[in-house]
Parts: sequence; structure tokens; C-alpha cells
Amino acid sequence: MLDPTPKARVLIGKPGLDGHDRGAKYVAQVLRDAGFEVIYTGIRRSPEQIVEAAIQEDVAGIGLSLLSGAHNVLFKRVIDLLKERGASDIVVFGGGTIPPKDIPTLTAMGVKAVFTPGTPAKRIVETLDTLLAQPA
Amino acid sequence: MPYHGDIPNLIAQTASRGPASVRAAARLMSIVTDHPERVATMLAGATRWPQPRLVLGITGAPGSGKSTLTDQMAASFRARHPDRLLGILAVDPSSPFTGGAVLGDRVRMMRHATDPKVFIRSLASRGHLGGLALGARGVVRIMGLLGCDVVIIETVGVGQSEVEIAQNADLTVVVLAPGQGDSVQMLKAGLMEAGDVFVVNKADRPDAATLQANLLNMLKMGWMARVDLYHEELTCHGPQMLVAGQSADGGKALSSIPDLPLDAAAPPPVFLTSATNAQGIEPLVDHVESRAARDADAWRARRDTQITREVRDAVLESARKRIAHLIGRNGTSQATLAPVLEGRISVDELTDQLIRRALSDIDTTHRIQPT
Ligand SMILES: Nc1nc2c(ncn2[C@@H]2O[C@H](COP(=O)(O)OP(=O)(O)OP(=O)(O)O)[C@@H](O)[C@H]2O)c(=O)[nH]1
Ligand SMILES: [Mg+2]
Repeated sequence: MLDPTPKARVLIGKPGLDGHDRGAKYVAQVLRDAGFEVIYTGIRRSPEQIVEAAIQEDVAGIGLSLLSGAHNVLFKRVIDLLKERGASDIVVFGGGTIPPKDIPTLTAMGVKAVFTPGTPAKRIVETLDTLLAQPA
Repeated sequence: MPYHGDIPNLIAQTASRGPASVRAAARLMSIVTDHPERVATMLAGATRWPQPRLVLGITGAPGSGKSTLTDQMAASFRARHPDRLLGILAVDPSSPFTGGAVLGDRVRMMRHATDPKVFIRSLASRGHLGGLALGARGVVRIMGLLGCDVVIIETVGVGQSEVEIAQNADLTVVVLAPGQGDSVQMLKAGLMEAGDVFVVNKADRPDAATLQANLLNMLKMGWMARVDLYHEELTCHGPQMLVAGQSADGGKALSSIPDLPLDAAAPPPVFLTSATNAQGIEPLVDHVESRAARDADAWRARRDTQITREVRDAVLESARKRIAHLIGRNGTSQATLAPVLEGRISVDELTDQLIRRALSDIDTTHRIQPT
């Protein structure tokens, strides 16, 4: 019989003040269809809320969806908070309207992947499969 | 996950209630939900773990407002007991096709996310047979160890194991809402028997009063039918005829029938709430608290007897996993199953073979190492 074993748990959050979560919801759907368990937290979440939720949910990764342009600050805050909480093993990735010129800064900060609009769903899944592969 | 060997350490960290306790508890929860068969082992010798004072199940029709109501009730409990921890376990269905899930109940509870005294955990149903309820039980235990005074479990009232989880709680609240044609159907399908307390949510909607009236009628009929059945039981098997209100002991014998539910004295109460407007919440929580104060001893006794079932379920789950491992996943199981598919041996014979193989399997990598 069917005995689906889920892949990693991932939290998708949308920090920042703008209220569009179509991108975040889309990625949540894509990941669900690829077999991930996605904890969806909704819009306008503070980095504190996102990190606390990620720890309680014991997720392997946090995906931040950003449109507001404050991505450098928000990503940094999330990564710093994870460090503070001794949870730096949680992989942080992001998506949204992030200018390509900012990607190196984010990578240096510790963001493991950035998906800009137009990234094929398949590539998102493959990247996360690799990043969040659970040790057997 | 790499933290299997750490279980005793994680338990100690959780119990310490220090800064690392939240992360440790969260990891223990992953272990019991990924490996429900481990719950029994983990709990061996854990009978003295602190337990929540109240485990409240909230179930009901999809979209009826369970998460919003959970959020409001959580706020009320927090205001009543500012020093005490509160746990929330929110169960959502997995896709039967991909095994994936979007767990969205948290969206309605985010104001509690940074409250250090609230611990929220989402759980996907994962299509387990039995394993889900067991994993959920493990999570509740860990919340108890963490020091949670009240634990609220939200599950959608569709599917046997989801309803079972809510019913394993001390007290089960069934939430319905107007404008959902399936509410009454769900009651017929078994939710009516599952509820100790009923809530008609979305009372701000015009047809809420009608739903409440219909519900009260159904509950009263269901209750009368049950009372009649108990009486018949008594008449058939009891030493003497007993009619409610006429028995020599004033009806006390009725409550000594073993299976008589604690609250068979009246149909379950129905509360009207408007969760989005925070209305009707306090009377509901008042009621729940008064039940908790009154029935705490009976609940503790019932939890103790549930342990037997937990162990039984864990053994079954462990056996299921070991056989499933030998059959292989969908797609890879063809070869194992071929002899049956081709009619060469019976299902029973194959099962015998697999059990024998499971026993002799030296390479038991699928078996979780004991702590
Ligand atoms: N009008 C009205 N809407 C409500 C009320 N309570 C909840 N809702 C809305 O109903 C919708 C579903 O609410 P949830 O709390 O997510 O319901 P749920 O039962 O947890 O849903 P599932 O977990 O998906 O089954 C949301 O849009 C809520 O805002 C209420 O009292 N009145
Ligand atoms: Mg919900």
C-alpha cells in the first residue's frame, strides 16, 4: 500500500510589510507537490516570529519570500537570530524580487539559495532536495 | 535525523526548562512523529513525567474556524494563567499522492509565536494507519515534560485517525459553522458521538441560530437514544428493572454502569462563538475549566489506561514498518509481490514468508537503535 514518507519539513514565511503572498503560497504548493511538509506562516511576519516558529516546528529549512526591498536587513536578522538560538543548522533560502546584484551579499551572509521570479519549479525542488537532504 | 542517540540528553534538556529546552522538545517531537513505534520505548520509565492538567481536543468541519477558535482559547488560557505554559498541536492532512503537506493552521495563531510560554507544533497526518495517533500522543507527552499546563489539539474531523486523536484528549470540542452543508453530514458520520462539548462558530452569520437549533435537536435525540439503550442493558442484565428517577437509589445505579459516559446526565452543551470577533470565548473556556476541575481524577485514570493501548499500537506499528520495509515502496514492491500476483502462492503464504524474513533479517537497519 501507499506509505508516503515525507521529505524534510520546511517553513515558508513572508516578512516585511507588503501584503502579497502569491509567491510564497506558490512555492508552498510546489514543495508540497514535491513531497515536502510545508509549514506556512502567512504574511507580515517578524523575523522573531519566523525563527521561533521554525525552532518549535524543528524544520530543516526556512524559506523567506520578499518583495519589499528590505531583504538584506531581514535575511540578516533571521540568520542572526538562528545563530543566537543555536539553530544555525537550519538552512535559510529565499525568493522574490531580489536584484541579482544583491545575491552575492546574501550568499556571503549565509543564505543558501535565492530563487528569483521565473525560476522553474523543478529547479527549486532540485535545489532544496540537495540542500535539505536528510542524513539516513 | 542525526539526533537519535541523544534521546536521554534531549529528555533531560526538555525537562530542565532552560534556554535549550524548546529546541530539545522540538527535536524529541520529530523523533516520535517520524518513528511513532518509538513512543512506547521513549515513555518506558517515563510514568513520572509531568503531564498537562488539561488536554483539549478541537475537531470539526474543515474551515469551521477551529484554528481561529484555538487561537482565541489559547489567549484566554494565557490570560487566566499568566505563569503557565500552553501547548498547541495542529494536525493537517498530507497529500495521499505525494506525501507532502501544507500545514497552515499557524497562520491564525501567529500572535502567540513569540510568547515564550506558548509552544505550537504542526503535524501532517502522513497517511499513517495508527501511527498518527501514536505520534500525536508522544507530542502531548513531550509538551507535558516541557511543563505545559494546557494542551490544545486541533484536528480536522475527517478521517478516522484524525477524529481518534481528538477523542484521545480529555475533553473534545466539536466545532461547526453555518453555511457549510457538510456540517450536519459530518455529525451523522460520527462526529456527534465524538463531542463532549459543541461549538457553533461564526455566530455573526445569520444562519447560525438555525444551525444551533438543529444541532441541539440532534444532540438531544442522540442522547435520549443512548440513555434508552443503557436502560435496556440494565433491564436485560441487571438484577432488577431500573427506570431513571424511579430507582431505589435515586438513579445512582445508572452512573455505576461501567460504560456510562461521565456526562450522560444531559446532552452535551452547545456554545455559540464568533472566533474572529473574540465573542463567546469566555463562557466556553469557563465551561472547559469547570470540567477540568471536576473531572481531573477521572481523566488521570483514563490516561493511565491509555498507556496500554499506546504500547499495543507501538508494537503493531513496529511490525507494520518491518514488513513494509521488506515489501518495498510502491513501484519497487512488484518483485516481492509477483508470486501472489501470478497466483503461485497465497497472500497468507507470502505474509508467512515475510514474517520469517523479518525475523531472520540480520541487517535491521530499518530498526531504530535502542537508546
Ligand atoms: N465570519 C466568521 N468567519 C470566521 C470565524 N471564525 C473563523 N472564520 C473564518 O473562517 C475561515 C477558516 O478559519 P480557520 O480558523 O482557518 O478554520 P479551520 O477550521 O481551522 O480550517 P481548517 O484547519 O482548514 O479545517 C477563515 O477565513 C476565518 O477568518 C467567525 O467566527 N466568523
Ligand atoms: Mg485549521
